[in-house]
Amino acid sequence: MAEVRLAAEPRTEFGKGAARRTRRAGKIPAVLYGHGTDPQHVSLPAREFARVVREQGNNAILRLEVGAGANQLALTKTVTVHPLRQYIEHVDLLLVRRGEKVVVDVPVVVTGDPAPGTLVTQDMGHLQVEADALQIPEEFEISVQDYQMGTRVLAGEVTLPRGVELQTDPEYLVVNVSAAPTEADLEAEIDTEGAGVVEDAAEDETPAPAGEQHEAAEGSDQS
Amino acid sequence: MLVPRKVKHRKQHAPKRAGASKGGTHVTFGDYGIQALEPAYVTNRQIESARIAINRHVRRGAKVWINIFPDRPLTKKPAETRMGSGKGSPEHWIANVKPGRVMFEMSYPNQPVAFEALRRAIHKLPMKCRIVTREGGDF
Repeated sequence: MAEVRLAAEPRTEFGKGAARRTRRAGKIPAVLYGHGTDPQHVSLPAREFARVVREQGNNAILRLEVGAGANQLALTKTVTVHPLRQYIEHVDLLLVRRGEKVVVDVPVVVTGDPAPGTLVTQDMGHLQVEADALQIPEEFEISVQDYQMGTRVLAGEVTLPRGVELQTDPEYLVVNVSAAPTEADLEAEIDTEGAGVVEDAAEDETPAPAGEQHEAAEGSDQS
Repeated sequence: MLVPRKVKHRKQHAPKRAGASKGGTHVTFGDYGIQALEPAYVTNRQIESARIAINRHVRRGAKVWINIFPDRPLTKKPAETRMGSGKGSPEHWIANVKPGRVMFEMSYPNQPVAFEALRRAIHKLPMKCRIVTREGGDF
């Protein structure tokens, strides 16, 4: 994965008020840590960083120019995105060195068309692997072309590039090819669930405790 | 229709609607989802109606996940009743949905058809919603 140059500025004020001012100025509050050093609080240019995440994913290697100091290599550890407004709120950056092994989550992409009448369910979106910090794979591709019903792809069966070690449990299910529910299945499901409503509702109507009934009776007398 | 099997108390206070969803704001099981943009009480009838809307549109080959459960009872007093005489009887089962919550998820190989199914389901729900994908939003 290519290195991306980003100019970061050291942050001197903290707290939510300062963080909001930083965001209003078109920057993202971030923290840089690793290798036992003290955390450095920095701000990143919002548009440039968003473009990096959009185009290269969360595992892009950043070459940060923090103030007048030396360049530092960093890997994105966590990107906090606002769930509603969908902007990047905060970034955690991990310092890395050349040749260092890091544990990262690499996305899994399913390609191809399975056999007709089947449904592909992707149970895991990412695989955790250990790889060289500067040679992190962009994604793992799993082709389900002509896979038959009942085929399962486990984490240990995914082909990894040389130098990449799987950290996820190899027995975890990644992709499952099952029989696609037919129209009749869906209708049957609707009918059975609809039929259960009345019975469930009747069961829920448990009699009120004696005290409650007494109170209710008193209330009706007063009115 | 979704109803709790057993409840500790038949009647509860109406749940708080303030704030945003604390979790469940991302698509985790399927490929696409419906995200709430406003707070609302979603009844079990609305959930069922939305689920049927999705299933009827895709007809076959889809998997649908419902991430919310109507576990809160809402009471209502009968029409033309004077005030007093205690709390009304349980009328609805609702899920207290706050903005950001992904309520439905689905897997389907054809994206335009899946989006149309979710769009139809959104019309059955009582709040503004949008369709989100597993890959995440545009930022």
